[in-house]
Amino acid sequence: MKQLQRLFAMLLVICFSNATMIQAAQAALVTTEQIAGMAAASPEDSPHARLGALMTRADVQAQLERFGLSPDVAKERIAALTDDEALMLAQQIENAPAGGSDVLGVLLFVFIVLLVTDILGLTKIFPFTRSVR
Amino acid sequence: MLLMLALTGCAVQAPQLLGRPPPDLPRQVELVQTPFFPQLELQCGPAALATALSANGPEIRPRALVDEVFLPGREGSLQLEMLAGARRHGMVATLLPGSLEAVMRETAAGHPVIVLQNLGLSWAPTWHYAVVVGYDLDAATFVLRSGTTERLELALRTFEHTWDRSQRWAFVALPPGRLPVTATEDEATRALIAFERNAPPDAAARAYAAALARWPDSLVLAMGLGNARHATGDKAGAEQAFRDAAARHESAAAWNNHASVLLELGRREEARRAAQHAVELGGPLRETALATLRSIDR
Repeated sequence: MKQLQRLFAMLLVICFSNATMIQAAQAALVTTEQIAGMAAASPEDSPHARLGALMTRADVQAQLERFGLSPDVAKERIAALTDDEALMLAQQIENAPAGGSDVLGVLLFVFIVLLVTDILGLTKIFPFTRSVR
Repeated sequence: MLLMLALTGCAVQAPQLLGRPPPDLPRQVELVQTPFFPQLELQCGPAALATALSANGPEIRPRALVDEVFLPGREGSLQLEMLAGARRHGMVATLLPGSLEAVMRETAAGHPVIVLQNLGLSWAPTWHYAVVVGYDLDAATFVLRSGTTERLELALRTFEHTWDRSQRWAFVALPPGRLPVTATEDEATRALIAFERNAPPDAAARAYAAALARWPDSLVLAMGLGNARHATGDKAGAEQAFRDAAARHESAAAWNNHASVLLELGRREEARRAAQHAVELGGPLRETALATLRSIDR
């Protein structure tokens, strides 16, 4: 339901922004992002492209929230991304590498696990442990 | 033989580099001033980013970055968000070419390098961010701030294997106006456009000016400079940037933006001529140029 509301809100935003564009044709600056997009020979300022970008961002927002971020934090993090990056993130968020581990931490964890299982008599890795049994 | 190739991935660079190092590359470098923030559980991303940001700017601690780069559901930090995180703290995040030499050259220039390594196996990965702060060609090692180790010496070959698996992903985070020594024009441009989105316009202008000085033939960088200056309110500066861009490139975008700023400066006749030129050039921006022309004639 929330998704539908969000979608509807976005459509309203697009309709209004289109309306203002038609009514007040002003001297507009072409943005750097637009020129770079054109240099890469991809469609830039069509309403379709803008809608696509907005929907991608909504999609990323939902995904970031699903992966444990609060809506406010997710919103800030998406705002920092370019349209291209938002698209890439949407595609990669589930499978791209997520750097986290410290290998020493992993080794330490394994060491502790084995120590505990040694003490419980489930394993016998270390010579210095005596099982509780 | 195929198995060997599968295990080693891309061509191994270490032997060539050690056998015939570039003569202008210093033999030993260590950025001992680089701060150290031991990582907390799963948070090598914030720790590595804090290290790089604090090395060339005001100190930032990992805790401040957790909300910006750490993704709990993935138990780690994604590469794109690491770049965005650097930008949010006023630094330009530029990816490096994937070569050992590039990493060394940046380090020699005083720029710590954030790298993504797979410390495990390709089918059972252990992804990890660390910061290269030095190297030694004689000992054939890199020096890294990594995890809870302030000074990790890693054999060149081992580093290369772990770095290969991340497709040799590495970046530097530098204050606007400073460029990585090894960045390509395409990547620097991408980095600056993303920076422009996050940064105060005067910082973006500084960054674009430095990049344009290195790559004076770039239309996109020239337009970036114009747009950034305009955003700071420096209309005269913006006009000059767009004028130079329009003169150098037959670009509807440059002529359009030039016309737009000329109008704001009250130079209506010049603005009209520039807008007409933009319209004549046609292309996908014809509608925008026509709109600009219409607003001049109103």
